[in-house]
Amino acid sequence: MLSISLREELEKLASELLPEFFALLGIDLFLMLSLLTCLLDDRMPKALPYVYQIAALVGFGHLLVSQNFFTVFGDYMRFWYCFIYLLVSLANIVAVNIYFAAVNKQWTLAKVWSGVVSFPTILISIFFVFSYSYLHGVPFPLFLQIALIVSVIIMGTSVAIFLSPEALRNRLRGKGGGN
Amino acid sequence: MNLREIAFKKPLKLLMLLMTSVLIATASATIYYSLTMQPQVTVIAPVLKFSTAPDEPTGSNVQDSWCSLNASSYPNATLTYEKAVYINNTDGGSAHSFRLRHVSITPANGTATVGNWTSIKFLVYNSSGYVFSLNYTVDSTNWILNPSSGQTSYYSVPQSTGWWIRLETLSPATAGTGNNCDIKIAVDVEQ
Repeated sequence: MLSISLREELEKLASELLPEFFALLGIDLFLMLSLLTCLLDDRMPKALPYVYQIAALVGFGHLLVSQNFFTVFGDYMRFWYCFIYLLVSLANIVAVNIYFAAVNKQWTLAKVWSGVVSFPTILISIFFVFSYSYLHGVPFPLFLQIALIVSVIIMGTSVAIFLSPEALRNRLRGKGGGN
Repeated sequence: MNLREIAFKKPLKLLMLLMTSVLIATASATIYYSLTMQPQVTVIAPVLKFSTAPDEPTGSNVQDSWCSLNASSYPNATLTYEKAVYINNTDGGSAHSFRLRHVSITPANGTATVGNWTSIKFLVYNSSGYVFSLNYTVDSTNWILNPSSGQTSYYSVPQSTGWWIRLETLSPATAGTGNNCDIKIAVDVEQ
């Protein structure tokens, strides 16, 4: 009984999710990026925190437009422009990660960033996008859900290995030594 | 730029960014919340409807959700429209309450032409008799409302029942013909 009522409550909550939620998520991600790049400003371009603040402001304007043309834009269009905004914010998170790893050669920082920022934000975004699409009539079969989880785990592991190849080398060497 | 300046600059920058971030996040969340609160408005038929009655003044217009009564008044004689308009509860399942609420009146208080009327009364009746009323009486050049608040209490109309408004008008002997008085009254219905 408890599981049924909890499921109903979750479905009710998720059914109230509007496409603009992705824009809101994107704004929050940009704001988070702004604060983090400010904290790491000795490793990043000085103007970057302000650029991200402006990007968040653009998202705010985006929400304002959505509010005023709520009835004019259809659900489909609203979803796509909000989703693209979210994708842009996620792309920026990944870009910062790549910047640390490839440009600055700061592997430790890049690993921490991927584990603390990139990976969770991408996972949360995927969760909300699929919750939204599922509850708006787009079926998301079980095998695809499992495939998604598996691919996310593989992606996370691959990024970690890519960013610290010596760990993999040590592991392989350890195994080789054992033989 | 010395070391102290640099140490001071970074926290200040962070604080400024933190403040603007909180501001943007709050404003965005407020807009999103307002979007989730977008109401869906469906047109439905009113449950309490006006309908034409036998003593409806000539030239009146009675619709389901509003009516315009084109009444007259005689100098020094009370003119009564016994059943000016019906108010029917068309809901067969439950009772609904309504009240009369004054909205506006012209000529306004302080105007000399107000003296062309003595009283205009809107009395609500049911099959058992008088229920309540909203009355306009004149004191010199001012309209006096009864109840003084300009609105009556709510009264419940039983299911599938019709009540009616009795309209009484009276002008003083000195009233000039051709003067017009416009009264707007709201009928507030509790669904």
